[in-house]
Amino acid sequence: MRFHRITLVALLVALAGALAVVSPATASHEIVIGMQCDRTGATQIVGTVLCPGFHDYVALVNSKGGVGGHKIKALEIDHEYKVPPAVESYERHKKEGAVTMAVYGTPHIYALAAKLTEDRIPGTSPGFGSAAAADGIRYPYIFPIAATYWSQGTAAVDFVKKQLGTLKGKKIAFIFYDNPAGREPIEVLQDLAKIEGFEIKMFAVPPPGVEMGAQVLDIAQRFRADFVIGHLFGGAPGVSIKEFKRVGYPLRKFVSFVWGSAEVNIEAGGGFAAAEGYYTMQFAGVGEDFPVLNEIKDMYKKQGKPVPKEMASTVYYNRGVLIGALHVEAIRHAVAAKPDGKITGVDTKAGFEKISNFTLGGLVPPLKITAADHEGGGLVQIWQVKGGKFVKVTDWYAAYPDVVAKHIKAAGTK
Amino acid sequence: MIQRECGVLKTSYEADMALYPLPIARWTMGALAVIFFGILPLTLHEYYLSIANLVWIAVIGALGLNILVGYTGQVSIGHGAFMSVGAYTAANLATRLDSPWPVNILAGGLMAAAVGAVVGIPSLRIKGLYLAIATLAGQLIIEWIINHVTFISGGVQASIEVPRPRLGAIPLSSQRQMYFFLLVFVVLAIVATLNLVRSRIGRAFIAVRDQDIAAEIIGIDIFRYKLLAFAISSFYAGVTGVLYTYFLGIANYEQFQINVSIDYLAMIIVGGLGSVLGSVLGAAFVTLLPIVIRLGMEAFGGVFLEPQTVLNLIPNLRLMMFGALIIFFLVVEPEGLNRLWRNIRNYFRIWPFAY
Amino acid sequence: MSDAFGFFVLLMSNGVMIGLMYSLIALGFVLVYKATDAVNFAQGEFVMIAALAVALSVLAAGAPLWVAILVGIGGMIAFGFALERVVLRKLIGRPVIAVVMATIGLASILRGVGPTFFGAGTKNLALPISDEPFILGPLFIPPIQVLGAAVSVVFIAAFGWFFLKSRKGIAMRAVADNQQVAMAMGINVQRYFGLAWAMTGIVSALGGIIWGNMLGVDVNLSLVGFKVFPVVILGGLDSIPGAIIGGLIVGLVENVAAGYVDPYVGGGTKDFAPYVLMILALMIRPYGIFGKRIIERV
Repeated sequence: MRFHRITLVALLVALAGALAVVSPATASHEIVIGMQCDRTGATQIVGTVLCPGFHDYVALVNSKGGVGGHKIKALEIDHEYKVPPAVESYERHKKEGAVTMAVYGTPHIYALAAKLTEDRIPGTSPGFGSAAAADGIRYPYIFPIAATYWSQGTAAVDFVKKQLGTLKGKKIAFIFYDNPAGREPIEVLQDLAKIEGFEIKMFAVPPPGVEMGAQVLDIAQRFRADFVIGHLFGGAPGVSIKEFKRVGYPLRKFVSFVWGSAEVNIEAGGGFAAAEGYYTMQFAGVGEDFPVLNEIKDMYKKQGKPVPKEMASTVYYNRGVLIGALHVEAIRHAVAAKPDGKITGVDTKAGFEKISNFTLGGLVPPLKITAADHEGGGLVQIWQVKGGKFVKVTDWYAAYPDVVAKHIKAAGTK
Repeated sequence: MIQRECGVLKTSYEADMALYPLPIARWTMGALAVIFFGILPLTLHEYYLSIANLVWIAVIGALGLNILVGYTGQVSIGHGAFMSVGAYTAANLATRLDSPWPVNILAGGLMAAAVGAVVGIPSLRIKGLYLAIATLAGQLIIEWIINHVTFISGGVQASIEVPRPRLGAIPLSSQRQMYFFLLVFVVLAIVATLNLVRSRIGRAFIAVRDQDIAAEIIGIDIFRYKLLAFAISSFYAGVTGVLYTYFLGIANYEQFQINVSIDYLAMIIVGGLGSVLGSVLGAAFVTLLPIVIRLGMEAFGGVFLEPQTVLNLIPNLRLMMFGALIIFFLVVEPEGLNRLWRNIRNYFRIWPFAY
Repeated sequence: MSDAFGFFVLLMSNGVMIGLMYSLIALGFVLVYKATDAVNFAQGEFVMIAALAVALSVLAAGAPLWVAILVGIGGMIAFGFALERVVLRKLIGRPVIAVVMATIGLASILRGVGPTFFGAGTKNLALPISDEPFILGPLFIPPIQVLGAAVSVVFIAAFGWFFLKSRKGIAMRAVADNQQVAMAMGINVQRYFGLAWAMTGIVSALGGIIWGNMLGVDVNLSLVGFKVFPVVILGGLDSIPGAIIGGLIVGLVENVAAGYVDPYVGGGTKDFAPYVLMILALMIRPYGIFGKRIIERV
């Protein structure tokens, strides 16, 4: 007993001493991006691929001399998809002088929204988060910078319309993860159902979404949907692919929102061969055929290191590159106004709002972010699983912008 | 050397029953008060104060859970749900009725206490692990209700923004201001708990934990005291939820899910069941551990491994170390940090005359 | 009308099949509790680790499936013995909550181990059964569910027989009943504890293979462990037939809730409906339907 006590005390003292000696050093003027990631929580399947993409893009920019001569430091903190570590990581980033925050996770952007606005640091929530935050006037420091769930909803309905020819009298099933992020598109979908005259039924999958046999049976056998729109994330999309196959429902009548749309989800669903026909929505380009990706590969070759295996998982990796690129663009605009590099959150906010016509060779959609529209247009592409790989079906498009605008305005008055 | 009780004589019952009858205890409390109220907030950077704020919030929650699990012996995995009840009550009151923060905190706590008493009703018949899973059911049901009843949750997003608490005309928004705000509540909670467990109710709780059948025989109404334990513990949880909401500025039930309940259980077990100091130490330990691990890995990891590998490794290592440390504590010192501290204190009590 | 009835039958069959598969995981829990009075909150993680071992043997080492299954089972047996020796032996006699927390800590460690050493992507566990469902009238039965249900029933029967009839099983029941008397009778209590954990390991391996095929092998697989609780509480923590009955009830209730209650309340009742039923059952029978009533003496 005594022996254990002494070793415990000794260990604690050693640890405390070590930490006291080492303190996080801030290098000579670097521009800091505060980056959050989830590498161990419910969405680790995304985070472990997306965050390396972000880091690789920043490394590429630094290898070319940085932005206006200033190096960029992407400081990543993993928050296990929980909120208290996210808040603590926000404070840490603030301490390190971050000028933008790449927030990860819908509950996290909600939790940090008030702080970001108070501290005047812009935070991004691409492809997730609060759709109402597209309103840049009401939420000056929240930047969706990619299609929000409302835009994804309208785009999905538009795609279904093109697939079925008409929507009137058709039955659409919406299978979704039963949490705030999953329920967000419901009001827009119901609105569209009224406008276009189709019947829509909601099928909730409670977290953690590992078992959804009954809902899938209902969709396939009782409701007999003409098309299914899926809004699942984490491990659930893979499970859903398997379940739909198991009840014999054709996957070519399924379109998934952006977080069920990656190689890893298809692999989880049994592989590309099994998931033939599955339609996916993307907010970043898919595949390795982009100049910036080749540049990253060259950068690794020059350093004599192997190309990271995350690059093969192109959907989420490219999204990481997209998010990093947009942050760097905002910083670029900010540094253009203040060449000495001493920029603050206010400057990067203005920098975000100047982003337009920045497509990185097709990886990034032609967003136009303004002071009033922080979403940039809600552009998505549809890709299909065909013949063992992703095949592009449509180019960048957005649908029913008036409906989305109506809901954003209504949310603003609440 | 530190013969504490030597020469300390009391002349009245009140003096003898005081919370800290010994002069050395009083000096220690005074020194701690100076440190926590004075030195720390004035010298630490806002980031460290935000960590301290997280610790304070956790302390209040851990105290509540320890009353239920440590003193009354009823294992509960529903603590997170009670916090979310308190949080949403306060958030709804603040946004709908514009009520001031004392009312919100009180209302949040009372609502959580009521819900807690309801969840505790099965404790009449069910014991041990069965009761723990019944409280888990309570957690899931409450989560579902908040998620689906838009009157409570304020819409699909289930997030309600609350305005900052105001002290007179000053809104409390910086971490430093929050620090003092939270510290007041922590002190209140600690003093309340210390007095509660010394009182008649506290002794009834301990009787229920140790031998509830015998307690019933000697006339303690165990059902009433079990419900009271659930209610009081949930009151603390509700207050924790409200304070956390004020800390963040937003109420969202996804912050209070089952992993939070399990974290609080870990806090009181590592800290020591059935002790106030244990709750405080355990809360600090479990809250600070991930941060310390991450800082350590960031400082040393770069020495051995690639940055990307380090980034992938840190969070998993944190999970593993968390689990390993819990097991370590359970194996080495089952009564937690509290017992560790008592051993150290007892050792110095008669040092250097150990014989 | 027959369409609605057909759907009802479909839901029921799905419920029965899934319920039996839950029973397989619940069996692991019950085995440990029955023999050692220890509550295993890490059951889901055991399943995940076993599935990971099997999947990796197939994918990384290229072994044929039957070898991988043997590796998985063997690995889990060794893991069970090792776990008992290293951690749980020291926790004998501690209050229930100590062992619970120890298994929670263990779950945390296991959840970190997988992604650290093997990556976070989901791995596929392919079994030589087809994906197309059997069609029997209105019933769509996926082959994996048939396999899972069959494995579940076989092994529950096997372990039930083991505890009732075989020498080792009787010895284990003796140990669970009264450790000191068992020791006085010459039974090596610690070895039987190890054996109990090893048996849980075997069951976890089987569950891992079946569920790993159904869901894909990644960290989320450990979440099936949460489904275990209503099953074992309903059935009784130390009752093997209770595991089957509990599993069936939970499977049926989940599907009924998803099919008939969800549409009216906006969804999501599937997960907590079994818990509600569980509380009601507990109020009537506080130790589960088949659980052993604990007699307390003052």
